[in-house]
Amino acid sequence: MDSHHADISENQGALVPIDVKSEQLSLRDPRAVLSLLEADQVVAAKRRTHFGRRNLSFGTKALLWALRVYVVAMLVIVLISVYQAVHAAH
Amino acid sequence: MDTPDQNPSLLAGQTAHPTTESAVTSDAAPELIGLVTHEDVDRARDRWEVARARWKGRTKTFGGLRLLWLLVGPGVLVFLGENDAPSMLSYSADGSRYGVGFFIPFVVLTFIMGFIVQEMTVRLGAVTHRGHAELIFDRFGKFWGLFAMGDLIFGNFLTLVTEFIGVRAGLGFFGVRPAIAVGGALVIVVAAITTGRYWTWERITLSLAIFNGLFIPAAILARPDWHAVGHAMLTWTPFPGGSRYEILLLILATIGATVTPWMLFFQQSAVVDKGMQPRDINAGRFDTLLGALLATIFAIAAILATVPLFHHGINAANFQYAQFAEALEPLIGHTGAALFALGIFEAGIVAAIAISTSSAYAFGEVMQTGHSLNRPLREAWPFYLTLFGSACAAAALVLIPHFPLEFVALTVNVIAVLAMPPALAFLLLLVNDPEVMGEHVNGFWANFAGVTVTVLLIIAGLGFGLATVFPKWLGG
Repeated sequence: MDSHHADISENQGALVPIDVKSEQLSLRDPRAVLSLLEADQVVAAKRRTHFGRRNLSFGTKALLWALRVYVVAMLVIVLISVYQAVHAAH
Repeated sequence: MDTPDQNPSLLAGQTAHPTTESAVTSDAAPELIGLVTHEDVDRARDRWEVARARWKGRTKTFGGLRLLWLLVGPGVLVFLGENDAPSMLSYSADGSRYGVGFFIPFVVLTFIMGFIVQEMTVRLGAVTHRGHAELIFDRFGKFWGLFAMGDLIFGNFLTLVTEFIGVRAGLGFFGVRPAIAVGGALVIVVAAITTGRYWTWERITLSLAIFNGLFIPAAILARPDWHAVGHAMLTWTPFPGGSRYEILLLILATIGATVTPWMLFFQQSAVVDKGMQPRDINAGRFDTLLGALLATIFAIAAILATVPLFHHGINAANFQYAQFAEALEPLIGHTGAALFALGIFEAGIVAAIAISTSSAYAFGEVMQTGHSLNRPLREAWPFYLTLFGSACAAAALVLIPHFPLEFVALTVNVIAVLAMPPALAFLLLLVNDPEVMGEHVNGFWANFAGVTVTVLLIIAGLGFGLATVFPKWLGG
């Protein structure tokens, strides 16, 4: 595949998609690989690009905090419940 | 072959955005062409098969079946994976303690809830090509991301322990020693992941998962009263009697048997690893629906298989796994009991594979290391180590003498339900985010259904909490 890289990357901006419906397809040709994947599906592209942080509104933050408190409180209650169950079993 | 890490300048710092543009015609194509990885090649091979199937499907009768065969996977796996050992225990408890009645249609409702939620992960994965953990860290930052990961890892590990309890108990019915049962299960987990190919892993796991259907012959051998089943489906009656606290606990455990955080993370990551694209979303919906349908049938079969215990007045209040099969043996015969025990074993092994993979995907996404089953071991060893390590640790715990297995089994589904509302909040926020989803953002009805599921889970959790703290309110 490396030899293909060298040849093609010299013609930057002139990549031609190949027919992915052909009976024979060599995935040794990187053009074939890129023809089959979406622009943000290639590992290298995904590594280097990220969805940025979104601005969390007051309402969203309040919701997330409320749900966090809910989970912690419920975990305490689960512990109480298990203690009661084990205590009752013995 | 070059790797992305060897060219840190490439696309660095750019903001991702949803696109359906082919990589070969994108502006970044000249740079990307030198950085194609083994993972990309494997994924492209899968996409080629899909492209050909889609093309042939337009011209041939039944041609679409080939396309569905190729695209089915994550949805079926996630739902049959969630029909795991503790879930089958919950369904067995429903059937043995309350017979045919309320819990049959209730299970159908929980799977509808599961479908609503999982469909969103299909869209998220197909549009963004990113896993759930990665998106949460990207959009909400490390602070909230660590909370989400904490819930996931804690819940996954507890659940994984219960899967190995199921493996041990299922094979225990046949006299297999615990160490051999658990060791054998680990060998299967390793065999599935050493293929270095998502497609092969998916097909191996699917072929194991279909044995969840063992509960069907077990149910048939229990000679269910189909008239009563039909009546229960239509009327949701008879409603269970007795301790309302215990009923509430079983309701919660039954919901937890269908809707859990690991499912969100797993299916989205599997959709990404499979290489699904926005044009595959309808096939992904079909896959999810098929999984929900199969899992519903198998769950109801588990309920029906244990109904004879209810009719014979056998107290199954403290039954664990293999005890159901042992108690069923005189009622439905050795074959039926053996099928039930094998079903529990299968449920444990498939879920162990799926849940450990879910943890590994999330870990790899957050640590930004290779996190694909298309990657060879040498390229993604932290991913495989997480997967295998979590399975080994859970398996080892199960073999510790006097380890409180009952404690873990009792709480795992309840904890899953309690951890679900924050996970759903992240999911709904992401799937309504136009910068992430583009034209595939949630519509009104998807949001209505998603919010309804979240509110129902919160109400169920609060009800459980109040009943625990104030038991007299519900009659003890």
